[in-house]
Amino acid sequence: MRVVTDNLGFLLGGLLVTLELTVLGFVGALLLGTVLAVFRVSPIAPLRWVGAVYVEVLRNMPLLTLLILVVFGLPDVGITFSLFTSAAVCMAAFAAAFVCEAVRGGINTVPVGQAEAARSLGFTFTQSLRYVILPPAFRTMVQPLVNIFIGVVLGSSLASAVGVSELTNRTQVLNLQSAEAVVLFLVSGAIYLVIALLGGAAGGALERRVSGGRAR
Amino acid sequence: MVRSQRWRVRVGAILATTAALVLTGCADQGSAPPPKVPGQADTSGYDQIIAGSPVADAAAIPAGSWADTIKQRGKLIRGGTDQGALFSLKDPATGKVTGFDAGMAAMLAHYITGKTDADAVELVATTVDTRETLIQNKTVDAVFATYTITEPRAQKVAFAGPYYESGTSIMVKKDNTAINSVNDLAGKNVATEANSTAVLALQQFAPQANVLLFQDDASCVAALQQGRADAYVLDEAILLSDASTNPVFKLVGQPFTKEPYGIGLPLDDPAAKQFVNDWLQKIYADGSWAKLWKATVGTVVSGDAPTPPTLGSVAGS
Repeated sequence: MRVVTDNLGFLLGGLLVTLELTVLGFVGALLLGTVLAVFRVSPIAPLRWVGAVYVEVLRNMPLLTLLILVVFGLPDVGITFSLFTSAAVCMAAFAAAFVCEAVRGGINTVPVGQAEAARSLGFTFTQSLRYVILPPAFRTMVQPLVNIFIGVVLGSSLASAVGVSELTNRTQVLNLQSAEAVVLFLVSGAIYLVIALLGGAAGGALERRVSGGRAR
Repeated sequence: MVRSQRWRVRVGAILATTAALVLTGCADQGSAPPPKVPGQADTSGYDQIIAGSPVADAAAIPAGSWADTIKQRGKLIRGGTDQGALFSLKDPATGKVTGFDAGMAAMLAHYITGKTDADAVELVATTVDTRETLIQNKTVDAVFATYTITEPRAQKVAFAGPYYESGTSIMVKKDNTAINSVNDLAGKNVATEANSTAVLALQQFAPQANVLLFQDDASCVAALQQGRADAYVLDEAILLSDASTNPVFKLVGQPFTKEPYGIGLPLDDPAAKQFVNDWLQKIYADGSWAKLWKATVGTVVSGDAPTPPTLGSVAGS
């Protein structure tokens, strides 16, 4: 444990980078994914196609592949982001595909009759989404979104492979110095566990709030 | 990895269609035929060196010993990598792993079992994160993996050797005149492999450098080529190998560390370490070690094979 206590600041610095990646990646994914979900349920066919292609491409590719493409592929076509930015963009773009499907799934749980009722009352597409469909849909999305959050937390460790000095990367560096792989990875694993558990707990609290105590 | 315009267009197309998995292959090959990998060029000579290396007398392998287990099994289980240029690299076409470390393992397997075929060594992939554990729980018999002998590691595993002395060196682009020694790395972006002791060398000798850790040699080369990194710091022989295939790179200065490589063995079996050290003494004496060096590392380092390092000469061995 000496290696952990002696290098606590270094590890916590890595934790901070992991949290930054997680927050940027997840918030970015929420925004982009919601827009994509709206595309996918919109009455305009080309938008639906864009949403479908995005989801099927990004969802079915390993995150590590995406990271390597953005970090080492894009500079060859003249676009170079910093390593951290690249990783955050990848996390957001990747998770957005899953958010999109979670949001779309939530929307589809609202009976089509409610959308028809909204339309017959003269609501536009945007108004019926905003006032009629999304509020009840959101309740069913909470748990899938928690799963995606956890995926982002754990997926952020892949950024270590492309040079981002986050928690896993720093754990590897400390192991080089100390040859204490088991202890170090137990500690970093426990940290990921705690972040994911906190995310799950926050999701549970949010679910109880939006469902008015009806969640089981 | 000189990339033509056509390749760039093709990358664009690949990104657009996200046929992503082929990219690594393209990146390695470019539009020119792939360069010959040093250390793999002449595998027939390499095979002869292993076949010509010594075989242990039956008396040297007492029943029930570490070596006897390997002999009974008929193969050495080696911990290592198949992605280390010059030291242990798998040829995707033949599936054969060759290089200085791979050759050392093959010679030890030959010494114990008398066999030289590909089955005499079974490679178990190890990383820096797993090497000590896999030795301790006897998943592998021995680790040959550019394994620098350090005192913290020597508390977990025994090191035979050192069998190779390397140094950490600096590679930059040819047009870079700002970096001439390790002292010039302060404030610069410096790439290195995440699982190398170069990370520690940088902490010690260039604490002001902004260190970027990548998973493998190819990623570090790409980072240097694309300007993400100003310098790439790693084992001199590996950098020489990179510079020999990438004319836009040059090495600067002399190596600024000494890296003694050892063979990782179980700590609780002193006889195993003695056995491997005896074998090292034999291949040092009969010239097999020098021939292997010449056929692998010697393809990128000029001059004759150096004098082998003295066994037990570093703390931890």
